[in-house]
Amino acid sequence: MKEEKNVLLKVDNLKKYFPIKGGIFGNKTMKQVKAVDGVSFEVMEGETFGIVGESGCGKSTAGRTILRLLEPTEGNIYFQGKNIAELNPNEMRRLRKDIQIVFQDPFASLNPRMKVRNIIEEPLINFGVSERSEREKRVLEVADQVGLTAAQLSRYPHEFSGGQRQRIGIARALISKPKLIIADEPVSALDVSIQSQVLNLMRDLQKEFGLTYIFISHDLSVVKHFCDRIGVMYLGKMVEIADKNSLYDEPLHPYAEALLSALPSPHPLQKKNRIILKGDVPSPSNPPDGCTFHPRCASCMDVCKTERPSLQVIRDNHAVSCHLYDSPEKLAVAAGEVK
Amino acid sequence: MVQKVLEVDDLKVGIKDEDGREIAIVNGINFHLHKGETLGIVGESGCGKSMTSLSLMGLLPAGVERHGGDIRLGDLQFNSFAKKDWRKIRGKKIAMIFQEPMSSLNPVYTVGAQINEMLLNHEKISKKEARDRALEMLKLVGIPRPEQVLNEYPHQLSGGMRQRVMIAIALSCNPEVLIADEPTTALDVTIQAQILELMKKVQDQLHMSIVLITHDLGVVAEMCDRVIVMYAGEIVEESLVVDLFDQPSHPYTKGLLASLPDIHEQKEYLSSISGVVPAPGKMPAGCRFAPRCSFAHERCKAAPPLFEMENGSKVKCWLYEQGESEVATT
Repeated sequence: MKEEKNVLLKVDNLKKYFPIKGGIFGNKTMKQVKAVDGVSFEVMEGETFGIVGESGCGKSTAGRTILRLLEPTEGNIYFQGKNIAELNPNEMRRLRKDIQIVFQDPFASLNPRMKVRNIIEEPLINFGVSERSEREKRVLEVADQVGLTAAQLSRYPHEFSGGQRQRIGIARALISKPKLIIADEPVSALDVSIQSQVLNLMRDLQKEFGLTYIFISHDLSVVKHFCDRIGVMYLGKMVEIADKNSLYDEPLHPYAEALLSALPSPHPLQKKNRIILKGDVPSPSNPPDGCTFHPRCASCMDVCKTERPSLQVIRDNHAVSCHLYDSPEKLAVAAGEVK
Repeated sequence: MVQKVLEVDDLKVGIKDEDGREIAIVNGINFHLHKGETLGIVGESGCGKSMTSLSLMGLLPAGVERHGGDIRLGDLQFNSFAKKDWRKIRGKKIAMIFQEPMSSLNPVYTVGAQINEMLLNHEKISKKEARDRALEMLKLVGIPRPEQVLNEYPHQLSGGMRQRVMIAIALSCNPEVLIADEPTTALDVTIQAQILELMKKVQDQLHMSIVLITHDLGVVAEMCDRVIVMYAGEIVEESLVVDLFDQPSHPYTKGLLASLPDIHEQKEYLSSISGVVPAPGKMPAGCRFAPRCSFAHERCKAAPPLFEMENGSKVKCWLYEQGESEVATT
């Protein structure tokens, strides 16, 4: 066993509902989209926590709610023991020095009218570094760390390729010396050869500065490569949280199992037993009763249609939210006690 | 001898800059497609794979032109085609499905109307018959409650369902060749698995040949028989899919395969290809991959031809001048 690590971030029953307005004056809340519906997890210091799921499962909303770019509807977020859901905007602003975000689209997340130098420098001004020369020094330092040359700093974002823009985005996140970086699909818009460059860079930075990442992605092989622990989300809920090897070797939740089996095989001769899921993800404004996955689940039981399962720890660092593991016998098998 | 349904010979596609100079986007590529085969075209953004597919359909965007080359579909020669000739071919002989099912379906027509449009254009059938055929097509592509979906609009369907409708439209006139341009890129993995399964099924049923354009090597491994790897507007490697994954030859292909994270293997760092794809018009002289290639040497200042190897693969790289050289296999 490794030494016990400190919990850096604890998310407790986080909820984010978006109202759907209607009525004659458009001011009545007709329904709610439950984008994030009661998500809890912990992130240890220095680790990379991955959140995977398909489009619309709430993984990006979860990321943004943690940073309070979106106000949480309910729930607590503890960063280094402090509940940031209760901070006022001013305190929150100061805290963002420690939590930064890298966005998915490197074309849309950089201001086209600012020079790269100013884009990277802006957080420092925000966090009150008034000395100009000091800011300048820091910008050069960070640019060097992400592999940008001093000459490139005087250019505008449109002059860069996707991979380089993502480096700019990372530099901007890095300059305030954060402890936690939320990376929201940072390599999804990039080609594979560039994707690996950016992932390697992020890993280097993590080692050098002891960063903690929350890595949000839909790409299962990238997540396996990059993360230590992984949470699988479906329809606003965390259905499984586990160490990556435990998850990829032996997924417990039927959804995680299907998701992993849907990955195209890495070699043409290696055919695998694929579980093809029926139908589509239901709308989060009208999720099914009971377990939200039950209409698509092959092992659906009666209890699944009425009762919502809760996340329970099955074996070391492996928790799942599924009624299949309610019975003690099943539990024992899954825990590896009985074969 | 297997019948060749599609042959492309020295295809050149390009744009003109302000001074009227030609800038090549696709720079002289050759390939063919056998009956019943799935040919993959892989490459990263900007390698010219989409422009290649659009020129097969006569759908090049304004400003982009074919500067040369022959395309033959069976006994049809595409070169002298006028607009109305294209109309007879598109959909009937060669059909295409696009990446983004939302923007390639017409939002103001029902699904049924969009399938009928294709059928009434090409076949001498009544509206009633067209409707029956449309219904049959929707059943073929596995759409639940097809009768209702015929009268629904694209926005009422999910991404996976829209892609199924696209496939139904493309297949409605039973084309010989189907061009699929990144058919699953916009879809989630579980939906992607459904659509790939469907494409295999209808290919078997209708004996179609497919050109599958993608950047995803996993999809290639899943679907294709033969693969073409494109880089900066040129074909750098052509081989059977098994050979491509077992013995990739071109340094670019090797780099591409190595930079994929492998789900069964744990590495701390991924290998990557340094640098970026050169912009069209700023192509290096000689081998276009040389500036990013770790094997680059003196010879690479001249453009290499496609060398044929023992196993039938073709590679555009000087390393393979004498078949499989020692440098390349190490």
